[in-house]
Amino acid sequence: MAGVLDKLRLDGKVAIVTGAGRGLGRAMALSLAGAGADIVATARTHVQVEETADHVKAKGRRGEWVSCDVTDSSSVAAMVQSTLDSFGRIDILVNNAGGATDGMGNTLDKISDKQWHIGIDTNLTGAVYCSRAVIPHMQDVGGGKIINVTSGFGLRAGRNNFMYTSAKAGLINFTRALAMTYAQDIQANLIAPGLFPHDIPAAVEFWRGGKFTPMGRLGKDEELGPLCVFLASGLTSYMNGQIVVLDGGGLAGGHAPTGFAPLVPLPQEGA
Amino acid sequence: MTSEFSLAGRSALVIGASNPIGRAIAVALAEAGADVAVATTTRAQAEEVTANSCSNEMWALNRKSFAEAIDAADEGDVRGVIDRTVSELGKLDVLVNAQDLPFAKPAVETTLGEWRRVVDINLGGVFIASREAGRVMLAHGGGRIINIASVLGERGMANGAAYCAAQAGVFNLTRALALEWAREGLNVNAIGAGWTEGMGIIGGDEGRQQLERYLPYKRLARPDEIAGAAVYLASDTSAYLTGQVIWIEGGALSHV
Repeated sequence: MAGVLDKLRLDGKVAIVTGAGRGLGRAMALSLAGAGADIVATARTHVQVEETADHVKAKGRRGEWVSCDVTDSSSVAAMVQSTLDSFGRIDILVNNAGGATDGMGNTLDKISDKQWHIGIDTNLTGAVYCSRAVIPHMQDVGGGKIINVTSGFGLRAGRNNFMYTSAKAGLINFTRALAMTYAQDIQANLIAPGLFPHDIPAAVEFWRGGKFTPMGRLGKDEELGPLCVFLASGLTSYMNGQIVVLDGGGLAGGHAPTGFAPLVPLPQEGA
Repeated sequence: MTSEFSLAGRSALVIGASNPIGRAIAVALAEAGADVAVATTTRAQAEEVTANSCSNEMWALNRKSFAEAIDAADEGDVRGVIDRTVSELGKLDVLVNAQDLPFAKPAVETTLGEWRRVVDINLGGVFIASREAGRVMLAHGGGRIINIASVLGERGMANGAAYCAAQAGVFNLTRALALEWAREGLNVNAIGAGWTEGMGIIGGDEGRQQLERYLPYKRLARPDEIAGAAVYLASDTSAYLTGQVIWIEGGALSHV
């Protein structure tokens, strides 16, 4: 009688995860595999995705890797064709490729046209190309799930953060448009991870271990995986165009320093 | 193989298991392995009957359970059902605030008494239950509070002044409590439910048909489609998630 837990199984499903060579992308790929899905792991360079595919196989699922530059629509088309050749179907797409690009941390006047376009292409256009390429194949198998990885920076801005914050915000409304257009066939939702660089020492140091976040710690990559499984599962059939923020409480506040907790008594009546 | 989402060994209380969403959540938590106590929103007899039958469903799943008719705005009632959960189920790990008092009336005709009752149950009841459960959970290293509110807490509706205001309050109550308890292992999140079959706020068939024409899915949500998120939020896998709303609304909020 474990109906609801059975719906979290993904046996027989085929998932493409972009940017799956490390970090959150790898964690999501491995969680999806753990739930029963076969995985196509992609990234621009093959060394790390090969390793991800090996980890998938170690979980007893079929795992393949494909080199793919998501900013190049012909590379995306080839990746999708290769997935179909190997697995014959596509059920789940995780648009995770992206990240900080050259030009981050600069005032606007110091950002070149080229840097702007690379930032937008990597973080937004890649998800558009991949979604466009897989949707007809999802419809062929009666529906599918698209999971786009945005960021707290897609919902709020940061100083000297222009391309990334604009692209991640764009990804949110792109996802809503997918939901409006393909509702019922396809569920398109977003994950907005908070600070998750726990396995990169320099990043952990830069973010001071997440000391300033409400929970007081950084997220662990493996904490993101189950959320991806939930969004890819039968439990989210009516969930569409939405964002789940997994950030240890960060965006619940954000208007005052963490730990800001004043004590203000009610005024004494008639005093 | 044990699922990482399993709730085996957990103890939950669902307030408002007398409405379709609350009931579906209680069943989902039990299916995932939890013992589940259920309570009503008001002491109305029809609610008590539904809660009893929900509790029977828990027993059929071999879970410990009881049903209690309460007024979710009454401090004593709420404290009582939480105490009883701890004593009969052994502890309290998960509180689901699904209490719901539907109400829609032109603002100029709404009495202060009606306003207060709607806010007292739909918002005040969530506060009381969270406070009482919070005391229990903080003393035992944490837990999960899951508040159910609606798209009407995010967008307005004609004739919805009191209901919409109360629902919106639930979302910000969720954020405030989440920040207060973020370092104590007590996660507070909400599920933002779309228009769902059988919920009272929809009104009659005419309203329902208008909604079906409008929604991207061309249908309302089934209660079980809302309930799955509660399993995720109650499980160990969502340890880093707090102060957030998981919206399950069939794209309704994506509309311009």
